[in-house]
Amino acid sequence: MRILVVGGGTGGTIVANNLARRLAGEIRSNRVKIRMLSASDKHMYQPGLLYVAFGQMMPDELYRDQQSLLESCIEFHVDPVVKFHLDQNKVVTQSGKTYEYDILVMATGSRIVPETIPGLAEGAETFYSEAGAISLFKKLREFEGGRIALVVGVPHKCPIAPVEAIFSLHDYLKARGIRDKCTIKYHYPIGRLHTIKEVATWVKPHFERMGIEHETLFNIKEVDVANKVVRSEEGTESPYDLLIAIPPHRGMEVIEQNGLGQGGWIPTDRFKLTMNGHDNVYVVGDTTNLPVSKTGSAAHFEAEVIADNIASQIKIGAPVRDYDGKVYCFIETGHDSATYAMFNYQNPPNLKEPNKPMHWFKTSYNKMYWTSVRGLL
Amino acid sequence: MTNETPTPVTMDARDLQQLAEVATLITAARDALSDDIVSRVSGALSEGITLLDRLTRNEGLMRLLQVLDRQESQQLLVALSDAIHAASQDIAATAPATGGIGCMMRVVRDPGTQEGVRLLSVIGKHLSHSLREQHRRGSV
Repeated sequence: MRILVVGGGTGGTIVANNLARRLAGEIRSNRVKIRMLSASDKHMYQPGLLYVAFGQMMPDELYRDQQSLLESCIEFHVDPVVKFHLDQNKVVTQSGKTYEYDILVMATGSRIVPETIPGLAEGAETFYSEAGAISLFKKLREFEGGRIALVVGVPHKCPIAPVEAIFSLHDYLKARGIRDKCTIKYHYPIGRLHTIKEVATWVKPHFERMGIEHETLFNIKEVDVANKVVRSEEGTESPYDLLIAIPPHRGMEVIEQNGLGQGGWIPTDRFKLTMNGHDNVYVVGDTTNLPVSKTGSAAHFEAEVIADNIASQIKIGAPVRDYDGKVYCFIETGHDSATYAMFNYQNPPNLKEPNKPMHWFKTSYNKMYWTSVRGLL
Repeated sequence: MTNETPTPVTMDARDLQQLAEVATLITAARDALSDDIVSRVSGALSEGITLLDRLTRNEGLMRLLQVLDRQESQQLLVALSDAIHAASQDIAATAPATGGIGCMMRVVRDPGTQEGVRLLSVIGKHLSHSLREQHRRGSV
């Protein structure tokens, strides 16, 4: 049985490592082989970028060698896939090699596309890439006061990030003693403060306490870099001295180029996590088109279900679990407190008051991530 | 069955004092902690768990530990420790080897050397047998 994992992010790595543990006997007796193809030999802890933007983490803390995170029995190649031949159970990579499989796990992830909005790439700072997070940090260090606007593109990864960025921004400016010289304005594309209704309700009094201005139904149309104004599709505009953007995302180009899913998101069965029409192709993390957050947490819980089901298919010929839509998101509410949101397809989140132990839980998780991605936590 | 009302838990001044002390201790620990400390401890814990996981799933290492845990192995380990200690002293006290057949003959004639070679040869025999057996079972 040949299992091929395409993509070495959170989802792909957890699936591969969990499979290596569950199928240790089958791998030893050469009945199962696990391969991973990735575009990079490095693995990045992406939630750490927010901390880089506020000088709380250094970029090198966010990286590990991908090979070091994988069980030794997993064959790993840095050779991204360029062609998927799902009808023939094979893929072709950038180097021209062909890899055949019996089970395929699609974990290609997503990418930011700020260039799809005129002026956004040139005019806005972002913390969704290493270079962007460093640049934002430097801009914030030099900032002496004025109007800060935060705008949100859709769809985007980590739905909690815009809210966390506001909390962090408020605390950062306060710590520098310039909060009273700044206005912070939060813009959100739908008719409330957050896509998750409970988060929107919870965050409103916090924004009022911190003096955060907000405008909902603001879908970014363009950024007028010369005049420092961001305009919405709805016809409104906001002037700024510093513009921070959560850029819109798309799935990876290779998914679109191979016609596997519109926008790079693969149509996925919400319970089985298989690609629609292909029972031997599993989809994990950002790559799915599921109505759940595109976060490492969702990828983690999906990966556990996928690994359990592939292992049970091999051992007893049937899957054993369904994905219930579980997501667990930490919410940093500034530099010394946090809370969390846990929800699934059936149950909305019930947010608790932020506190310091939760912040330390998140601080711990920033380090424990490496244990988690190895399939241990 | 009785209708006796349970006696409510009462707290005297001493209990309250102790509770206050515990609360002070927790507050002190909380104030003493910083993000950096939490981060460093978590990092060490994370690596420790990973190391422990790798070690405990390493079949060869676990077998070696089982063997070393036996009583007869204790004697071997003690003997090995003594031998390493004595050898380091001998090497320090002995003049550098001059080389040549004569020197080699002196070493070979030494009963201790012969015992050592015999031990290595016995280990080699069993090692070879074990490897052959594992290959035959297809577990290597």
